[in-house]
Amino acid sequence: MKKRLLSSLLVSALSISLLAGCGSAGSDDAAEGGESTEESGNKITFMAPDWAIPTEEQLAAFTEETGIEVECSEVGWDDIREKIATAAAANQCAADVVEVDWSWVGEFYAADWLEPLEVSDEDKADMPTIETFTVDDKVLAMPYANDYRLSYYNTEQFAAAGITEEPQTWDDVLEACRALKESGTVEHPFAIALNAEEKTSTCLMWLAYTMNGVVWNEDGTFNEESVMEALQYMETLINEELVAPEDKTSSGMDAYMRICGGTASFLTGPTSFVSRIQDEELCSVVGQITPILTPGKDGKAQQTMPLPEAIGVSSMSENKEAAKQFVEWYTSADMQKQLNDTNSAIPTRNSVLEELINEGTIKNSGAMLEEAKLVASPFPNGIPSYYAEMSSAMYNAINKMALGELNAQEAYAEMSGALEELISEE
Amino acid sequence: MKKKIFPYLLLTPMILIMGVLVFYPIVATFSYSLKKWKLTAPGDIRFIGLKNYLQILGSDDFWYSMQNTLFILVFVVACTTLLGFFIGTFLNIRVRFSGILLALAVLPWALPPFVNGILWRFVFYSGYGFLNKLLTGIGLTEEPVEFLASRWSLLLVVSIVVVWRSVPFMALVCMAGRQSIPTGFYEAARIDGGSRWQIFRRITLPLMLPFLGVGVTSTSVTAINVFDEIVALSGYSDLAKNILMDSYLTTFTFLNFGEGAAMTYIVLFFALILGIFYLRSLAKEVSYE
Amino acid sequence: MRYAKKTGYVLALILFLIFTAGPFVWTFILSVTPEHAMFTGDGGLLPETVIWDNYTELFSGGQRGSRFFVSLGNSLKAAGLTLCIGIPVALVSAYVLGRMRFRGRELIRSLLLITMVIPVMATIIPLYRMFAEGELLDSLFWLTLVYISSYLPMAVWLISNYFSTIPGELEEAALIDGCGRVQSFLRLILPLSRPIILSVALIMFLNTWSQFQIPLILASSMETKPMAIVVSEFVTKDSIQYGLVAAAGMLALIPPAVAALVFRRYLVAGMTSGSVKG
Repeated sequence: MKKRLLSSLLVSALSISLLAGCGSAGSDDAAEGGESTEESGNKITFMAPDWAIPTEEQLAAFTEETGIEVECSEVGWDDIREKIATAAAANQCAADVVEVDWSWVGEFYAADWLEPLEVSDEDKADMPTIETFTVDDKVLAMPYANDYRLSYYNTEQFAAAGITEEPQTWDDVLEACRALKESGTVEHPFAIALNAEEKTSTCLMWLAYTMNGVVWNEDGTFNEESVMEALQYMETLINEELVAPEDKTSSGMDAYMRICGGTASFLTGPTSFVSRIQDEELCSVVGQITPILTPGKDGKAQQTMPLPEAIGVSSMSENKEAAKQFVEWYTSADMQKQLNDTNSAIPTRNSVLEELINEGTIKNSGAMLEEAKLVASPFPNGIPSYYAEMSSAMYNAINKMALGELNAQEAYAEMSGALEELISEE
Repeated sequence: MKKKIFPYLLLTPMILIMGVLVFYPIVATFSYSLKKWKLTAPGDIRFIGLKNYLQILGSDDFWYSMQNTLFILVFVVACTTLLGFFIGTFLNIRVRFSGILLALAVLPWALPPFVNGILWRFVFYSGYGFLNKLLTGIGLTEEPVEFLASRWSLLLVVSIVVVWRSVPFMALVCMAGRQSIPTGFYEAARIDGGSRWQIFRRITLPLMLPFLGVGVTSTSVTAINVFDEIVALSGYSDLAKNILMDSYLTTFTFLNFGEGAAMTYIVLFFALILGIFYLRSLAKEVSYE
Repeated sequence: MRYAKKTGYVLALILFLIFTAGPFVWTFILSVTPEHAMFTGDGGLLPETVIWDNYTELFSGGQRGSRFFVSLGNSLKAAGLTLCIGIPVALVSAYVLGRMRFRGRELIRSLLLITMVIPVMATIIPLYRMFAEGELLDSLFWLTLVYISSYLPMAVWLISNYFSTIPGELEEAALIDGCGRVQSFLRLILPLSRPIILSVALIMFLNTWSQFQIPLILASSMETKPMAIVVSEFVTKDSIQYGLVAAAGMLALIPPAVAALVFRRYLVAGMTSGSVKG
């Protein structure tokens, strides 16, 4: 009898502890849930990477102004998409306002995850990158962090190899790199992403785009002439070992960073390098690098590719009005100025960018502003919904070319075959 | 009557946890795998039977990934078991600094996956990697070795990193296994005049077998599910991708949840066959009579 | 003979140190190297200038640092909770499955053990769905239950293996002496099983420590996010802050190292206090 009592006690203790755990957790959540429905008019969630999270003072100012409370959830950039997708698969809303990278727009639109926003024509004219987030005339997200391809070159290294002129065309760059290598100034002067990742695909895109102003045809297939020319250019760089062997396997950003380490003399890369090349901690050749307009085929390129980040309102949000208010506030001219100061975000409004450069807040900007005015989207029909698959086919083909498994012709055949299949599945 | 219910009552917490958090989801995933379900086509979700599976099994891509998976599996299980066994034995030797040695031994396992990835990137990268600096430093090579540029060397490097990470678990399990052997057994054997090798073969090995079983099964699962290391060392390259990576890419990058679930199920099925094999051969209850 | 044994030990020790500690030394070097120096191939193994900025950034109480320490606390809490629930459940289940006779025992045992092969990828999406519907997301308690569900098969298997080394006669004697099953479990089996309980506890602790994929999907706020996730967020716009990540990684190793030291101490203490078995 006694033993039975004891045993049942043990069992019940265990199950109670388990249930109690469940219960308490459950009631906690219920309480939170209750709270949020109670005040549903003025509380929203914002999911973004580290660099997009506003400071507490900024958020407090927003709450004071509008009565809307914002709960920020900081998520690694790579993981945001995964969280949004998982939530959407369960018919849940990951957050009211979410980060939207330019490359995600196509699929987010196809999946119906974003609520269209109303944007004035004035704002549209001031933010050229908004075009990237516009599909079927609907603005799906507001860009907050600008990024477009800009070129950088190390003037001292160029001079040491006997080149005093700023390179105007891609042929100039090639000749300069050859001279740099031959003179022994820099062993691998060209920094470009070649491993299997997204940045490698974008490298091919902007190269073809700055050379010929076109990457895709109207029907979504590759413009063979333009893409082949860019691929062959890359192949030349690889064959003549003007790119570093480690660029083939290391991450794209590590390859770009070579210009800061002084082991590369020319880079076409993110706008953020304008500040990187002046940061003693990140750069060992401060003062030697100048941002210049990206070269083209005969003279400077007439257009450059934007790679901005934006925030959008989730279509499953229960609080869309408040969320839209937040987006509007967050991308306003005043906030862009503040965010440049606190989060080093590069403004997407050309008016703000101009102001910051003229004020001297953004230093040594070189051709930054001039280039910003040349921003245009290379996608004739907006970002396609199969972008991720297409990009994967592109970077794998380029990476194989870099590793010597394919030549440019074969790499092109591989990626265009994959793209045609994707289009036919649409 | 009550006595009969008693064992089941005691098992209730475990059955609840496993039932709700493992068995239910696994059935749900199976139902996903029978659907055409692509998030970018929300209007077109429907039951398609085994089509996802047939499509995967019929693609060359899948078999390529399968080869990679098998390579990593065989290499990792063999090396981890051997090294884990030796390190477990080594750690059982009592010296003054045993504690510190053990603490060191388990650290590879405790390193967050993200840090782990970065660490190995800086070891194996061709330009500025530690290994290349070392090799050129002592004059073994002139040009940096490109460890990550071809399929098999990349797979080898990935496997070595996975071994490094999974040896601590194996070593701990082996330590536990050794401690389970009643000391009397050894004394008896020594009195009987058995040689060291005989003692090892007749007593240590058979009695440790069930523990090795846990270690080998768990290591196999780890080896089949390698992901972070591959991404850290080769990005999302096709070169060294395994089935799990295929399944991850299909699910989260290409947002094809139906096909992704089917791939996960293929991984699972593969692991299941191995698991049953191990259970049958290693998980028998040993008799200590 | 003795001399040879000693050299063998020292040799093994050196190999062991290179194998396990080598990579950590390298991580440490990375954590004190300025970023631009990381990418130069011609430099030596040691950086020319050593910087401690990454450590000071973590300790300065700034945003990154405080997030890191909060998440470290979360990881510790999760590990503690895992042990508090996981160990008792595993012990009882292992005892029942290993020592009691009842119908369906084999079936339950096999079903449990076989779940060891189930990867997280196969359950995470339905789990999210279930948790979202039950409003259980972002709760440390439910997060740890998911961890436990992935450790139970391994833990039960290890413990029941160990139980089977305890001679049945011992327990029978106890039962005859009038101890109930529960008492014999608490007074006899548990004390004898100290080594395996400690081992399983350490295994659970370490496994919880580096969890990434499960909390990535199921946890979102700073109240629950574990260290492994917060470290992975140490990135700037389009690059990783390698030095900072390496520094955080080094600091994150301290708790598991302490856990292992404690484990070893109690393990040895348990063995010298003389065991009944054998």
